Amino acid sequence: MLVVENTKCECGHQNSVGTVLCESCGKPLENNELSDLPLEMRYDGVARRSQKSNPNLIDKIWNFFSSVKIAIYLIVFTFLTAMLGTIYPQENTFVNNFDPSVYYEETYGLPGKLYYLFGLSHTYETWWFIGLLVMIGTSLVICSLDRVLPLYRALSKQQIRKHLQFIHRQKTVYKHTIDGDAEQWTEKFGAQLKRKGYRIHREGSALLAEKNRFSRWGPYINHIGLILFLLAILARSIPDWQMDSYITIPDGDTVQIADTNYFVKNEKFTVEYYKDEELPAKLKGTARAKLFETKAVLYECVSSCNDQTQKPVLKEVKRHNIIVNEPLKYKGLKLYQFDFDTTPRLNAVHPILVNKETGEKYGPFDLPMKDSALHHKLGPYTLDLYANYMEFAIGDNGEPTTLSRDPVAPAFIFTVKGPGLDPKGEPYMYFPMQKDKVKFSQDAINHGIADKIEIRVDGMENVDFSEASTYLNVRMDKALPYVWIGAVFSMIGLLMGSYWQHRRIWLRIDDGQLSLGAHTNKNWYGMRSEVAGALQKIGITVDPKLLDNGGNNA
Amino acid sequence: MSLVDFSSDAFIVAFFLYCFAFMFYVIAIAGKKWSNRDPLQHEKRWGRVAFITSSLGLASHLTFFFTRWAGSGQIPTSNMYEFMTFLGMAIMIAFTIVYSIYRKPLLGMFSLPLTVIIVAYASVFPQEVQPLIPALNNYWLKVHVTTAALGEAFFAVGFAAGLMYLLRVVDFKGKTKEAKRSQFWVEFSLYSIILIVGFIVAVFAFRGMGYEAQFVQEKSVIDAKGTETTTSETVDYSLPPIVKPYNSDIVKYEPFLGMEQPIFEAPYWMNGANSGRKLNTVLWSIIAGSLLYGLLRLAFRKPLGAVIHPVMEGVDPDDLDEISYRSIAIGFPIFTLGALIFAMIWANIAWGRFWGWDPKEVWALITWLYYSAYLHFRLSRGWQGRPSAWLAVIGFVVVLFTLVGVNLVIAGLHSYSGV
Repeated sequence: MLVVENTKCECGHQNSVGTVLCESCGKPLENNELSDLPLEMRYDGVARRSQKSNPNLIDKIWNFFSSVKIAIYLIVFTFLTAMLGTIYPQENTFVNNFDPSVYYEETYGLPGKLYYLFGLSHTYETWWFIGLLVMIGTSLVICSLDRVLPLYRALSKQQIRKHLQFIHRQKTVYKHTIDGDAEQWTEKFGAQLKRKGYRIHREGSALLAEKNRFSRWGPYINHIGLILFLLAILARSIPDWQMDSYITIPDGDTVQIADTNYFVKNEKFTVEYYKDEELPAKLKGTARAKLFETKAVLYECVSSCNDQTQKPVLKEVKRHNIIVNEPLKYKGLKLYQFDFDTTPRLNAVHPILVNKETGEKYGPFDLPMKDSALHHKLGPYTLDLYANYMEFAIGDNGEPTTLSRDPVAPAFIFTVKGPGLDPKGEPYMYFPMQKDKVKFSQDAINHGIADKIEIRVDGMENVDFSEASTYLNVRMDKALPYVWIGAVFSMIGLLMGSYWQHRRIWLRIDDGQLSLGAHTNKNWYGMRSEVAGALQKIGITVDPKLLDNGGNNA
Repeated sequence: MSLVDFSSDAFIVAFFLYCFAFMFYVIAIAGKKWSNRDPLQHEKRWGRVAFITSSLGLASHLTFFFTRWAGSGQIPTSNMYEFMTFLGMAIMIAFTIVYSIYRKPLLGMFSLPLTVIIVAYASVFPQEVQPLIPALNNYWLKVHVTTAALGEAFFAVGFAAGLMYLLRVVDFKGKTKEAKRSQFWVEFSLYSIILIVGFIVAVFAFRGMGYEAQFVQEKSVIDAKGTETTTSETVDYSLPPIVKPYNSDIVKYEPFLGMEQPIFEAPYWMNGANSGRKLNTVLWSIIAGSLLYGLLRLAFRKPLGAVIHPVMEGVDPDDLDEISYRSIAIGFPIFTLGALIFAMIWANIAWGRFWGWDPKEVWALITWLYYSAYLHFRLSRGWQGRPSAWLAVIGFVVVLFTLVGVNLVIAGLHSYSGV
């Protein structure tokens, strides 16, 4: 059965269950009245919501999350699990397509396999890690609400004359015999405290001096900031709120940003290296990039965007030279310089067709490496594209194949019709790059037809290649402003709570006997020297250390 | 003489001033018991001498910092040498602030050696000015690194005060299980500090002798296209190789103390030629540190904790507890601002994301969570004093791992500012 606890104080104030110190006069409500140990002053001894008697289920959940002990456990669990995630690189550090199920075992053996199986290879995206963060958030909300409201009530209706036990059981205490008028002494002492920035409340020979109460709200403002921050982070999983991808654009190309309506053109990429004399001896002779820049143009597609058969219609929306730390920004979309590749890449050639017997030349015609026209007409000749390889190779089965989709060793097979050739057409193999022509012996493959015609490029002006490719990082994060707001709140709260302390001094004089007690939420050393300093000013010299009544430094 | 050379001289001056200041703090504390003097007067006088010396040291250190900045055209916090010297300077700044609040010369006796060790540790790394790669060249970087280091410096002072608290309150004569355990761990903490000293001593001793060895490690990688590429990595040892990199060949080797070849090879999971070198360095630190510790034990014939304990008599442990807590409470907002908020701003500017779970970022978060747990523990009954002193000591280990350990052990985005 419920035990009805008498929570009415001798001063007549009715306190709620769980109150440690009477909300009105401050008299300790614990049973052992004989104890003279310093009081537990947290939250001014008021009852918190979580100290309700007869809790129901919601109360029990509330009570669980309102405990500071649980909050500490959550923090400790979070940083311990966060440590695990730094043992091996996380999956998201690999930009290229890689298979985590193979990678970890191959690279780190059995521990790596277990690491992957336990989900530690993506620790920070696992349900349990996110769960911990959500629980910390819940704890922040409940802990704060549980305490801040009662504390606010207690601090806004403070009584000036406190119970003697309350004063004598503070952590900083001074007792003394006063000669002369008590009220006068109190006024004099109050004036000294006022000069130190205290607000003075008097009631006859009793006094309450208080300063920096606002610092008590610091932790709660900090917690509000942290809650905002956590919510912002969770909001990033809302579709379209966040994007993080990479694109490669060779000089002169225009590439669509996947899943968006935007296209980016790399007009020109330039890289500048440190000169040898700028480098220390150890690094001389190495290419250390000083500055790299992409002249980029951002386009928005205005029509036929998702139609594969038609060319999208683009509208220029922004032009910017992207360098590290200076991204192209447009409506929350940001393009960052990430890396570059200086391997030249062939874009197109403009070859001519030569009739070897007559020496007649036809062309030049336009032959891009990608998406070339299927049909070319050159004087009396017609060329039909039969096949096109980006990185030509002979596969294991003896058939021609391509190793990649980048034009590293491009090759074309045309069916050529024209004077002196088979009317059904004869196959002609064409390697635009000289090195491939030799490597794969183009003339031997073409045999017969190689004596009749030749496709070749006349001069470098007919070769169109990109000197470099730029790698851009595409990012979008709509939660960002909320993250910063959270951080600002958090920081303001921290500063308020850490660099100011809420200090209070109570005193009363009963028959010439001065009782002084002081409380601060931090920095007792400073509290004691302030009391000693004020006493000194009115002629009482006391060693600050002697004011210490024992107890803990909270 | 160029500005950079001048700054190096200022650095050496600062180092020696710190050493002298340390000695003066020791005299101020230990000399109280000398005959024919008033202990309070003695502590006051020598405390002032020591504080002036350490402040001159700090002034000289600041001179080093700003002249090197002017001379090289970039803020000297970009490689390990510059960062560690900056951390040493930040500890001195934090110490000076805390000292001006509490005026306890004893604090100098522990903060100064910490600074000296960190500054000496910095000197192990190459000291030349290196050009920055573009990603590092930003205003926010400077703000981020300096603020974070200052926050960490306050944690370091909290650590020093925490360790002092333990040396003060642990009963070094006690025979109970509890007392024995405390004695062991205090001794272990001191031993760990000596290991770092051992590392510095070993590096400078062998550098003085001009010791060199070189290994080459060949590694073949088969890429997605099936082409095998072999890369070879050479690594220079400045300490005699006890252990050689996994699967490597000797290029150059000087026998040392009859050691004709490395005693063993690094295990296979220690990837890369450099991890072999790092393991070798760790082994040498343990050897040199243990030798040093052994010599000290021989000289004093009792555990080091018991040697220092009597010096601490008369110090109020409550003051130490409060100083430790206070330093951490002062440092925490600075650390939050520097290591998390400024870091996020910078990361957002440089990489376009404010947080990427990079190991260095994660460890900064771990440090922050650790100290927020510490601050909450202080709210609970029974966590003041001894337990919180231990937390302050362990906390600094976490800080050091974040600063140095992550760069040594785990690679990440920050590794280019590495060793």
